[in-house]
Parts: sequence; structure tokens; C-alpha cells
Amino acid sequence: MIQIKNITKSFPSVVALNDVSLEIQDRSFYGLLGPNGAGKTTMMNLLIGYLQPDKGELLIGGQKQTPENLNLRKNIGFVPQTIALYDDVSAQTNLEIFGSFFDIKTNILKERIDEQLNAVGLFERRKDLVKTYSGGMKRRLNIAASMLHNPEYLLCDEPTVGVDPQSRNAIFDLLQKLNSEGKTIIYTTHYMEEAERLCDKIAIIDSGKIIAEGTLGELVEKLPYDEAIIITKNKQTIQHRNSLNDFGVILDHDDHFELKPNNGIPLSKFFEKIEHLGIGYQSVELHKPTLEALFLHLTGRTLRD
Amino acid sequence: MKQILRLVVKEYRLFIADKVALGLTFIVPVILTAIFGAVFGGTSAGPRGIRLAFVNESSSPIATSIEEALDTTKAVRLLKTFRGENTIEQKFDSLSAKEYVQKGSASAALIIPADIFSDTSLGLKVKFFYDPKNDIEMQMLKGIVQRTMYSQLGNLFPQMMQKQTEKFLGADSGGLFNREMALLISEYFEVDTNLILHPNLMAWRDSSETTSDRPDFFADLIRIDETQLVGQKVTNPWATRSVGGWAMMFLLFTLTGSATSLFDEKKSGVVLRLLASPISRIQILWSKYLFNVSLGVVQLVFLFIVGWLMFDINVFPNFFNLLLIITAAAIACTAFGMMLAAFCRTTQQASGWGTLLILSMSSIGGAWFPVSFMPEYIQFFSKLTIIYWSMDGFLEVLWRGVGILSILPNIGILLGIAALVNVVSVIQFKKGHVF
Repeated sequence: MIQIKNITKSFPSVVALNDVSLEIQDRSFYGLLGPNGAGKTTMMNLLIGYLQPDKGELLIGGQKQTPENLNLRKNIGFVPQTIALYDDVSAQTNLEIFGSFFDIKTNILKERIDEQLNAVGLFERRKDLVKTYSGGMKRRLNIAASMLHNPEYLLCDEPTVGVDPQSRNAIFDLLQKLNSEGKTIIYTTHYMEEAERLCDKIAIIDSGKIIAEGTLGELVEKLPYDEAIIITKNKQTIQHRNSLNDFGVILDHDDHFELKPNNGIPLSKFFEKIEHLGIGYQSVELHKPTLEALFLHLTGRTLRD
Repeated sequence: MKQILRLVVKEYRLFIADKVALGLTFIVPVILTAIFGAVFGGTSAGPRGIRLAFVNESSSPIATSIEEALDTTKAVRLLKTFRGENTIEQKFDSLSAKEYVQKGSASAALIIPADIFSDTSLGLKVKFFYDPKNDIEMQMLKGIVQRTMYSQLGNLFPQMMQKQTEKFLGADSGGLFNREMALLISEYFEVDTNLILHPNLMAWRDSSETTSDRPDFFADLIRIDETQLVGQKVTNPWATRSVGGWAMMFLLFTLTGSATSLFDEKKSGVVLRLLASPISRIQILWSKYLFNVSLGVVQLVFLFIVGWLMFDINVFPNFFNLLLIITAAAIACTAFGMMLAAFCRTTQQASGWGTLLILSMSSIGGAWFPVSFMPEYIQFFSKLTIIYWSMDGFLEVLWRGVGILSILPNIGILLGIAALVNVVSVIQFKKGHVF
């Protein structure tokens, strides 16, 4: 179990984390969702022992995490936000280098390297220089490099930044497989879709504070409505978007609008309006509210503001 | 056209924002120009303070005159005394002056013997003992000594002619001839006969006169017995002298580049990945340090062996001591690279500062031309550079073939510089912008 107890961490110009407390159960897939600058990366840097908290303490598997506790790190895998690899050598060499720091016997490390290369689908290209890889391949290798010592805890700091949808799905599958094998995964993201898809428990963080925590179901229950109205984006709906403002707050997603209905507005009135505007019913569906809506509800801002 | 101008303005704005590019464009050339200007031109042109041990065993006024002329020459620092083993100031004699040169404390020794005239049929005789480890400097020094002595010829010539006459005609007949000649010259040129017959008694100081346009005839009037005291066995003096300086300059570039790879590792997140492993910050720093020192040793050894293969530099007779000074130099250069990594914030910044400091250190440290060619205030700064002490150590080992005791000061100073720089770097690293 990971216990984060009343952690505060400040930098000269900002309080990055302010009295944060969390408990993360073993074998869980725990999401830390928040906009850029919310304090997610600071939390990760504290968890890996890179930073020292100003106040509070971090316990991982019962051991206190500090920059000096090097032994604890043998049980933690870390996937940095950046692609932390050496570009001018092969994938295999990268894994040999990063694996060498964990006191693994040479023959076992060799087996682990092959396992990880197979797991991330790069075995065939293991001898190619990393700089010849696509962004998605580098991201997968970035994860493989964190798993060589078979850690119990895997900390992923926005591991899909800048990745195409196909590679993203491959990374999700990989992480879910690792979780199903018993790894505890902590995953930071500012994409609510990722948190919703992957995490069995989510903490929403904003300006260094945890503003909500729970399972997806528990979180959306905090909203004052049960269902959101999803309106598919097309020429008509985009044209009449503003005409629907009376019914609630409209969130703009990539391919749809999400209407968070105002309290007391009957759905029948909404559908009358839709009909009047000539928007077909096929463009509208009722859906469970998203974490985006919850974040808006709690902070007055969207995750990508 | 407007768009082109806007693009030009954009280029300038980006250029001005890039402080490193700005520095490299203007500050580096200014500094190097100033150093080269001080060496090869301007008001302070020429060498300054080449160390010359000096012994005047003669009571002859001409010897005194040479001594005074050398004393007032800025290019030469005339050393007439030294501190003996009991730290008492002693006057040089012929033997101690030679030893002083042999141990590298002076570039040469000039001995004016008591018999400056007696054992030569015509002209002066002096002894010049030298260490040509710095060839350009030695050529300059010889030139200065010769010029100073020739400058005395105008006064010396009549006296030497009289001695020749007396030698061939005998003292009586020669004396008579000289007196008659003096009367004749006196009559036609209206010159005091005393000035012709007894020039030593007269005011004949004319040491400022240069002799560059004197005919070669006068060359026979002065005999300088030259003896090379050090480096006689060196097979390729030029290469032996220059390889150390160039090797050091390239070593500094290599190690600076290597040390500042920390920035790339930080930017890519590799530092964070390493620190998420069972590795501490200090272990990363030590690994960089040890890697760079070993790389530096390998690079310098490689360059000296290439020097042996290509230029026949005598690397192996004193290889162990060479290795010691190479190691000390590599440690000091690595410290320099780590300091850049500690103080700079980006690879570009480190590269800019590195270029500026390395080129400056190379020029004032003696890698490109002798330190003695620079103004004295720059020579002070030369002794603060790694290149100066490394090059000096290389020359001690390769040129003079000295043992470990003689290079201990060089090793000590290089390690001292490294220790000082490392302390400053560690303090800066602890402030934490790299980690």
C-alpha cells in the first residue's frame, strides 16, 4: 500500500502540493487526474524519492520514501513524462543500461529484456537505434525500461503524451495487463478519458489539492444530475450550440458536446427545443456524466483550461 | 520586401535573445583580439621578463655597460642572486647559474668571464647557457643578448683595435703607433685624443643605439659561446614543446562537452529515470567525474603516443611521470567541465562559456605562444590556468626528464585547482538546478 500523509511541497514561486493525503491499495490502478500545473508531476517526483516533501511523509509498502532510501527504489518502476532513453543506441542497449542498476544477474536481466521487448512489441527491432523509432514505439520502450526489475509499483507520469490513438491503445492494453498481473499502477493524466478507461480509483487534483477521490461511479455521483446529454457534433448542432445554453453548461469535446443540465429543467423541454431547431434525435443521447463535468462542477474550469 | 524586413527583424530579436550567440559573436573575439594584440602589437608588444641568470665576473667597464643595458631591457628579467638551500640570498656564480637553468628556474644564463678580453684576439667573449624548451622564447632571448652587446661596439671598437696593434707590433711600438694614430685622428676629426686612447674613462654610454644595420664585419667582434644545458637528447624539440598545449586544449573541449551531457540527460528525463533507480545524485556526479578523468587520461596518452609515432617524441623514457602529470591534468580539466555543468543552465550556455574560457586559457596559458610574450599582468593570470601548469609539467617530464619530486609542485597545483573548483561546483550542484 502507498500512504501519502499530509504532504506539502513548495517551490519558490508556487505551493505545488498543499496538505495532500491519499491511500492507494496494492494491485489497484490509481489515477491522478488534473490539469497541467495541478501538482501531478510533483507528486510523482515525491513518490520516486526525487524530491523531499516540506511536510508530511510518504510510505510505500510500509517503508518511508526519501531521496536517501535507495533500496526502496528497487520495488518501484517509473515511467517519466519525457522519453527518457538514449537515442543513439539500440533498444536492447538502453534496456541493458537501465537494467544494470538493479543488481540483476546478467542471465536473468537478459531474459527480462527479451520479455519486456516482446511485451511492448519491439523484439524484432531491438537492435535498431532508438532514434529510428516512431513516437509510439519510443513510448512503449519507455515503459519497458521501467519494468526490467519487475517492480511491485509502477508510477506512470502521463505516459501517452503526444502518442497516436493506436499506440495509446497499445500502451493501455500493456498497462492493464500489468495491473491484472498484480502490479500497483499510479497513473497521472489530464485526459479524463484515460482515467475513466483505466483507473479503478481516481483522485482529482487541482492547484496542489485533492478536490475529489473515489471510483468513477462515486465521483460522478457527486454531480447534482444523473445523466448528461451528449450531442454529436455536426453542421446543425454546431450552428445551434448557443441556442441550448438555457438548458445548462455545454462542454466542448473533440467530437461531441456534453450538456450538463441545469437543476429542474425537464428533459421534455430540451427535446422540444431540439425538434424546433431541426436537430435530429439521432444526434442526441443520454449518457453518464464524465469526469470533465465533475471537474467543471468542482472548479468552474475545464481540465484543459 | 516588408516581409523580408520583418523576417530580418525576427532574426535579430532571436539573436539578441540568445545570450550565448551574442557572447560568442562579440565577447570571444574581443578577448582573443586583446590577448593577441598584447602579444604581437600595440604598446606592450614583445616578450616581458624572460628569466636570465646573470654572472658578471669581469671588472671591465664594458661588462658593466652590458649588465646595465640588460637590466633596463623590459624583455629580460636579470637574475643576479638566488636563494640557496639555507634560504640565504646568494650571488650567482658560473656553476650555480648553470644549475639554475638546468632545474628550469631560468631560461638561460649569461656569464661574462673575468677575461672578457684577454683570451680572444679580437672582441669580447661571453658564455651563454640555455634551455631551449621554449624555442621562440630562446631565439628572442639570444637576439636580445646579441643586440645589447653589439650596442656597445661603437665604444669598444677603438679599444680593441689598439689591443690588436699592441699584440702584433709589441707594447712599445704598438703604443707609439696608437698614440700617433690618435693624434692624427684628433687633428682631422677634432676629437679629444683621450677619447680615442682611453675610451673606458669617457662618457661612452650609448646603449640605446641599435645595431640592426651594422655590417657583418662586426659579428666577429663578439664571441658568444653557447651551450645547451637541457633537452640535448630530445629528438623533435618542436613537437615535444607544442603537443602538450594542443592536447590540453582539445582535452578541455572534450571534457566540457562530456560534463555538460548532464543537461541533455536532464532534458530527456534520463536523470530522473536514473534517480528513480537505486542511484543517488552524488553517485551520478562521481560517475561523470571518473568517466571524464579516465577519458581525459586516455585521450592525452593517445595524443602523446600519436606524437611518438608521428614526430618521434620521447614519450616512453619517462612514461610513469608523464602519466602522473597527465592524470593530474585530466582531473583538473574534468573539474573545469563539471564547474561549467554546475553553473550553466543549458548545453548551449555551457558550450558558449566553455569556448570562451578554453580559448582564453589556451592563449594566456601558453598553449599557442610563450607566456613570456604577454604583458606581465597577463602572465600573472597565466599561472592561474590549468593549461600553464599542465604544459609546464609535460615539458619538465619530456624535455628535462625530471623525476616525480620535480613535478610534485605541478601535480599539487593542478589537484589544488581541481579541489577548489570541485568544492565550488558541489555547492552549486546542491542549489539544484541540474538535479
